[in-house]
Amino acid sequence: MKKVSFSKLLLALMLVFLLVLAACSGGSDEETEGTDSGTDTEEGTEEGTEDGEEAEESDGIYSIDDFNVDKTNEGEAIEGGTLNYGLVSDTVFEGVLNRVFYEGNPDYEVLKFFDENLLAIDNNFNYTQEGAAEWDLTENEDGTVTITFNIRDNVNWHDGEPVTAEDLLFAYEVIGSPEYEGVRYYYIESVVGMADYNAGEVDTISGIEIVDEKTLAVTFVEANPSLLASGLWSSPLPKHIFEEIPIEEMAESDAVRVNPIGFGPFKVETITPGESVTYSANEDYWRGAPKLDGITLKVVAPQVVANELETGGVDVVDSFPTDQYPDVEESLTNVEFLGQIDNAYTYIGFKLGSWDADAGEVVMDPDAKMADVNLRRAMWYAVDNDTVGERFYNGLRWAGTTLIIPSFPDYHDPTIETPSYDLDEANRILDEAGYEDVTGDGLRENPDGEELVIKFASMSGGDVAEPIANYYIQAWEQAGLNVELVDGRLMEFNSFYDRVEADDPDIDIYQGAWGTGTDVDQNGLYGRTAAYNYTRYASEENDDLLARGASADSMDIEYRQEVYKDWQQLMVDEIPVFPTLYRSKLVPVNNRVTDWSIQTEWALNNKFHEVGLTQEDPVLPE
Amino acid sequence: MWKFIVRRLLITLPQIVLLSVLVFLMAQMMPGDALTGQVDPNVSPEIKEQIRERLGLNNPWYVQYSDWVTGIAQGDFGQSFRFKMPVTELLGQRLANTFWLSLVTLIFTYIIAIPLGITSGRYNDTLLDQAITGYTYLGFATPLFIFALVMVWVFGYQLGWFPTSGSVQPGLTPGSMDYVISKFKHLLLPALSMALIATVSTVQYLRSEIVDTKQKDFIITARAKGASESRVYNRHILRNSLLPIAAFFGWEITSLISGTIFIEQIFGYPGMGALFLETILLRDYSVVTALVLLFGTASILGALLSDIILSLVDPRIRIK
Repeated sequence: MKKVSFSKLLLALMLVFLLVLAACSGGSDEETEGTDSGTDTEEGTEEGTEDGEEAEESDGIYSIDDFNVDKTNEGEAIEGGTLNYGLVSDTVFEGVLNRVFYEGNPDYEVLKFFDENLLAIDNNFNYTQEGAAEWDLTENEDGTVTITFNIRDNVNWHDGEPVTAEDLLFAYEVIGSPEYEGVRYYYIESVVGMADYNAGEVDTISGIEIVDEKTLAVTFVEANPSLLASGLWSSPLPKHIFEEIPIEEMAESDAVRVNPIGFGPFKVETITPGESVTYSANEDYWRGAPKLDGITLKVVAPQVVANELETGGVDVVDSFPTDQYPDVEESLTNVEFLGQIDNAYTYIGFKLGSWDADAGEVVMDPDAKMADVNLRRAMWYAVDNDTVGERFYNGLRWAGTTLIIPSFPDYHDPTIETPSYDLDEANRILDEAGYEDVTGDGLRENPDGEELVIKFASMSGGDVAEPIANYYIQAWEQAGLNVELVDGRLMEFNSFYDRVEADDPDIDIYQGAWGTGTDVDQNGLYGRTAAYNYTRYASEENDDLLARGASADSMDIEYRQEVYKDWQQLMVDEIPVFPTLYRSKLVPVNNRVTDWSIQTEWALNNKFHEVGLTQEDPVLPE
Repeated sequence: MWKFIVRRLLITLPQIVLLSVLVFLMAQMMPGDALTGQVDPNVSPEIKEQIRERLGLNNPWYVQYSDWVTGIAQGDFGQSFRFKMPVTELLGQRLANTFWLSLVTLIFTYIIAIPLGITSGRYNDTLLDQAITGYTYLGFATPLFIFALVMVWVFGYQLGWFPTSGSVQPGLTPGSMDYVISKFKHLLLPALSMALIATVSTVQYLRSEIVDTKQKDFIITARAKGASESRVYNRHILRNSLLPIAAFFGWEITSLISGTIFIEQIFGYPGMGALFLETILLRDYSVVTALVLLFGTASILGALLSDIILSLVDPRIRIK
């Protein structure tokens, strides 16, 4: 008898563990790569729980429109207090804490509290005069443009030394030096005389001139609107500290890793490599002393971030895993979730040609399998991305429309009509274009009557990668198109990009994602000479629009808006790629925090000195 | 005895060389490198190619291998591409954390294993024994990462007894008493979580060994000579039953440097295991190869140590 009850107990325990197992199945094997403001890629998926039916029952569908971007203040801020900031990250905080050298996004999250750019930006990522330096643009007669930086008098490094024109010049010299091993050279490439300096032929950069102690004039070879859309290097490097260090050893020096300084609202107190950083208020901050006494930043594993928020271990995190939101939305009454559209989109790309490495440009192949725009359009009509967003992401991702996302309010054109789910329309287009089912197997042949098999490449990573890929394949099959996964399975991140980049003939279409960065210029992704133009699409109209969007005329913002509206329309007509999902970004903030915001204009300008707390201890759930 | 150790050492050397070749070749075969993840239009393929050239990634594998081995021979594992610092220094930072965590885990493991194993062996087939074996089966069946999550949820968040992440409270000065105490507090929960799972195999070995030894002739002899029950257990049975544990000890030492990926990830504890995972994801090969080589060498040396310990306690094992 005893033994029976024991085994029953065991069984019960096993069941408990089974449940725990099911509940905790959100893996963390996701790979993300990212840099700061540059356009970067991410894998197309994020892990989500098994939410299909569950979402329907509780109607757990959310909309990004219901989220605020600014924290609602609940009371007056007290004097001082310490804010706890959680860094939720898949990739590691490497500890390269300097804008000139860092590469991983976690490092940016750490350095943003103590260092900032000299120039401030608005919500469209255009420069304003509100920053630590004012700027002035002069168009010279020979076609070059000169930007003059005027650093405010009260801007000082944390050690009390003033931030000078010399420091900014020093940053240009380090990045331009042949010994520099980082990846920021693209920022300063178009400075007059930079090429010679980078080749080591001259000792000074002819296009940069120190006007006086606080004024630096930088001349660029041509006018380009990107310069004023956060395309200028405006982060000085403290020369009095780095002068003595050889350039190739700077990134590993203590001045970067152990006691870095900046001129931002907080000073670094201590750094525990890979896990935490403490900051104290910089009373001498040029915008005014911060309300807080300090900030404690610690790395939080994605598995426990909800618990940390619940117990008040952290007040704010850099970004909350959106797939966990439905689970905690009700229990986390002590935080307010802020949300906005993330600077990224997922897309389906059609391979239309190949890359000619010698000429450095794309070559379209008129005989490519996907060369018919009607086929591409039908494929766009055949997929229901809003449902994908609701089913797999609880509505926190939704169907995308154009390639310039709503994060660029001045440039995104919501009036453009883009294909949305309409199976009949998809069938009609295919019928008209001559894709008929000749063999009678339910699948269409191409207009020449040959079998049409479309090879689809998609990345692994996260729980929903596979179901989503399968959904697309089934949706296309509904329209009579035979789409198969390349090699019959999903690809690992690195192999995926290796093969897409190499124009692997086995890949006809692929699902990827782009981060949009901070500039609407699309030359880097869709230009004829862009190696990252993975679809290998090019046309004269596209060349023309992209060139105009980056021309001197586009220094006029209205002109630039028109150009990019036309370009968005062109992309909807030509469909080298179509955006599938736009994404949201969620940031939970404890109720005791005041004046936190996730608006571009606030967050990227480091206005952390405004943040306050209403009480000493974190608010806990009721 | 010395002959045995020397012979054993001689075998170890080629093992390590072979390991280094394998490690290196496998890293070469992994798709992508530190730069493939940077799909960033601002960083043109030409720049990436320049960086690859500078890092020597375009050289044939044997050239890279000989560069690498020459470096290691001089104690230089190269430069981490992502961390922008010497690999040796990076490993140094992480190794200290992992070492302390594993040491505490090891101590916990034995503190739990020895009394449980002895009780279970001595009173086998009683209810107590069944409870203990029940626990060991549960331990075998429970994945460590689930168990650690449950532990951190119960003891870290619900009861609030232990800190839940990191290796030390932020903001303390290294070297101060507070710092040391905080470090220890941060160790306890991860170490305990790991020990409770890791200990079960040791408990089982000890139990079956004791049960086995109990029936040996020399025990009957001892009893016949009138030795007291406690003397029989403590002097005769226990000594002989500790053999497999001693053999395991060398292996356990290995874990002192390799750490545990799951535990370190869940507890946000920056040790070697977490570093291993992170650098694989980032394709930071200089670190990955250094780590694998280090782990591999540690287990080879651990095996060696086990053999030596075993040959010390049990002369029959010495290879002729």
